[in-house]
Amino acid sequence: MTKRSRLTRFVGVLALLAALAFLAGCGGGGNKSSSGTGSGAGTNSGKTYSTLRVIWDAPDYMDPQLYYTVAAYQINNYVWTGLLGYKHVAGPDGATLVPYLAESMPKISADGTDLKFTLRPNLHYSNGKPVKASDFAYSIERAFKMDSPGVGFFSAIKGVSGASGYAATKKGHISGIITNDANRTIEIKLDHPEGDILYILALEFAHVVPSGTPATDQSTHPIPATGPYELQSYSPNRSFKLIRNPHWNNQIPTMPSGNPDQVVGTIITDPVAAYQRVASDKADYDFQPVPNDRLPEAQSKYKDRLRIYTNANTYYYALNNAIPPFNNMKAREAVQYAVDPQAIISGVYGGLGRPTQNFLPPGYPQYKKINAWNFDLAKAKQLVQQSGTAGATVDVYGPNEDPSKASTEYLAGQLTKIGYKPKLHLLSHAVYFQTIGNQATKAQAMFTDWYQDYPHPIDWFDTLLNGNRITKIHNNNVGNVNVPSVNKEIEALKKITTLTPQVNDRWAKVDKDLMATYHTTVPYMNRSSTDFFSSKMDMNCYVFSVVLYWDWGLSCQH
Amino acid sequence: MATESTTDFTLDTAAALAADEEGAIEGKSPWLLAWRRLRRNYVAIGFFFLFVAIVVLCLCAPLYANHVAHTGPNTGHLGETFTRNGKQVPVVSKGGFDASGQFHAGGIPIGPQLWHAGGRYVFGADDQGRDVAVRLLYGGLNSLLVGIGSAIICTLFAIIFALLAGYFGGKTDWVISRGFDLIWAFPVLLLAIALGTALSINGFHHFGINIQSGSLWIPILVISIVLIPYVGRPLRGQILSLREKEFIEAATAQGASSWRVMLSELLPNIASSILVFFTLIIATNILTEAGLSFLGAGVQPPNPSWGTMIADGQDRIATAPWLTIIPGIMIVLTVLSLNVFGDGLRDALDPRAKVRMDA
Repeated sequence: MTKRSRLTRFVGVLALLAALAFLAGCGGGGNKSSSGTGSGAGTNSGKTYSTLRVIWDAPDYMDPQLYYTVAAYQINNYVWTGLLGYKHVAGPDGATLVPYLAESMPKISADGTDLKFTLRPNLHYSNGKPVKASDFAYSIERAFKMDSPGVGFFSAIKGVSGASGYAATKKGHISGIITNDANRTIEIKLDHPEGDILYILALEFAHVVPSGTPATDQSTHPIPATGPYELQSYSPNRSFKLIRNPHWNNQIPTMPSGNPDQVVGTIITDPVAAYQRVASDKADYDFQPVPNDRLPEAQSKYKDRLRIYTNANTYYYALNNAIPPFNNMKAREAVQYAVDPQAIISGVYGGLGRPTQNFLPPGYPQYKKINAWNFDLAKAKQLVQQSGTAGATVDVYGPNEDPSKASTEYLAGQLTKIGYKPKLHLLSHAVYFQTIGNQATKAQAMFTDWYQDYPHPIDWFDTLLNGNRITKIHNNNVGNVNVPSVNKEIEALKKITTLTPQVNDRWAKVDKDLMATYHTTVPYMNRSSTDFFSSKMDMNCYVFSVVLYWDWGLSCQH
Repeated sequence: MATESTTDFTLDTAAALAADEEGAIEGKSPWLLAWRRLRRNYVAIGFFFLFVAIVVLCLCAPLYANHVAHTGPNTGHLGETFTRNGKQVPVVSKGGFDASGQFHAGGIPIGPQLWHAGGRYVFGADDQGRDVAVRLLYGGLNSLLVGIGSAIICTLFAIIFALLAGYFGGKTDWVISRGFDLIWAFPVLLLAIALGTALSINGFHHFGINIQSGSLWIPILVISIVLIPYVGRPLRGQILSLREKEFIEAATAQGASSWRVMLSELLPNIASSILVFFTLIIATNILTEAGLSFLGAGVQPPNPSWGTMIADGQDRIATAPWLTIIPGIMIVLTVLSLNVFGDGLRDALDPRAKVRMDA
């Protein structure tokens, strides 16, 4: 299963209040208090049943400071929790942050560099021990000690960065996290205001574990949970089992208590085998996407049990803006005209996708649909001729597994048709992104995609297309997109304290400038995927959240 | 005069042929005798012509692509249509969400059209909209090129090593034999996968040799290297036996140099075995190439080979089974024809030999 995003992201600067305004933009309201039990419960709460049997993909880890894949995230969001989390509701409201372990949303200083939280009273881990404020600090420090892929998110916390910072020394404590167990308070001080800090605190890397939990992978030695379920067992590449947290007592009213009494997970990575198990009712849920080959059958035979969703992702071809031939804008524009999104979606993804020319996926308040070009091979050839780059050799990189491989082959084919000489390099997924993220590779055209870490445009434009953040290795801006005027605008937007409609318009303009004015990149699809269920499941209880995916805790059975 | 066989039919072709030869070999060269035996083995001859037909068909790939199918082996036609019985038909079925948001599954490539589409998509299309028949022929060309090319290199090195080890013996034999053991100690396919994967990423750029990633030379060399012991070892055994024969002693006594003995005396005496091994190793190499390509360590996409075509088609086995079945059939026919012919050749060259390819 695809990672939620590919690489660790080193967080930039943005004014803190922007996040709050963004929440309002999402329709959820920003500073929600902890009161109100209905926000997470939904209408499905209380429809308990015995066992949910799921077919799952192999998670990377079952340790909150380490896991970074959807396979781990989706199952464990009911196990470990952070100070903040997402509302358990369907639709865009699911992007709304609500307090989880925190009593309420934080008090934030005027300059946005100081956040004060208070833990809810009487919080307990699943082993019965109380949750302490200092556990939060310990959890963040534990992430650093374990070289977690998420530590980059915490770089703005005071005392983390720099030669003597905790990230370098891993000694002592992070000075920017001040806790008081007696008062249950947590104060987080930042070096500079950061607009997405609340979203960062909702990430799994900031989930709270007991002080003293070994700073080594505890996947097979389940860590006590704070959510409604605890991980009872995990056998890598085989199975896992979740049972109810005996000390839950509805201690986080903004979270549902969950309907199944236990979740029995079997790890099957072959989508065909997974599909067959669920189709034959031997399991209740298929985490794997239904294979293209079986989609027609699933649609006709099991239509009521199949749900198709499109979450926040963008599939795009990155063109290396820094070296020939794609340092030429007309050459880049030619590729935009040469790619037929509908053809890729139909042929490569079995129809599971929606065409796009935006970099930002739909659903964001900053999204404004771009319609700047059409599939037109003749025009593409003409542009290549005008650019003077016809006949150039293009090193095309992609993963060696379908459907990414087929998508890359399609790009190579289209480049041939418009007059280039593509040379295909298909690499193992394990090394693919680090290879194209290395400037020494000199990749010229690349398959790539991005799934949001959290619902904020910074996670897209600053991380992936800000020329100021190009690095020699581990480069997220794989196309070396570097438009000085747009870089300046991104930096400016990061400093704006309020996400007003005007600011949203400016983010939308960044999208349009990069895609339609400077033709930096070739976005072509927001990929859709499937949720497939057994006949035992009551599909009236199906809840899909834009952040949490299928909300299994709200599922129910006939 | 051939002796009467006790039965009308026997599966032991070698024995039957040998029995037929009794009393009829005087004054005939071994090669002429072999040819006489071979031409009476109709099954072997039949399969030989089948192999020749496959080779000729594959050699015709450019002609077929340019003048019949009008498309190249790597040219995708996603989103395009073609004419069948006067109607426009999508090469790959369209899918996606309609205006009302309803999802329609798509991506099913067109099936075999035989001659209903004017020579296009005779064996259907793959999920990139590429013409399967064109890819099949070009794929066959690549598979045969790898199979035969690696067989030539493998056999050549096997002969050299076998001659050196068998004739000189001692330390030379020890070093070469341990080299064979070392390669043999690895599971063939795993060793080939490891080499193929490593080389297919960055190519080979050492010792003044530059092989780019994606080059056909990579599977050719990988397969050659891993299979050298399978030919070299039995040949070495034969040479060890031959060098003790009187005619070698006679040649040495007459002052023939080591190279002369090896090339003029030993080599001709193992020529029949080499011929048999060469035929059989081609089949083995084609199978190895198919396995490597299937696993992504052989012929690199988008270039076709029968192995890559099967790999490409496996995800469509339910809705487009022709994508795997057709190249699979081609592999079976090619390997079968080479094996049967190779067996026939062995029977003809040395009816009493027990040489078998175990690789």
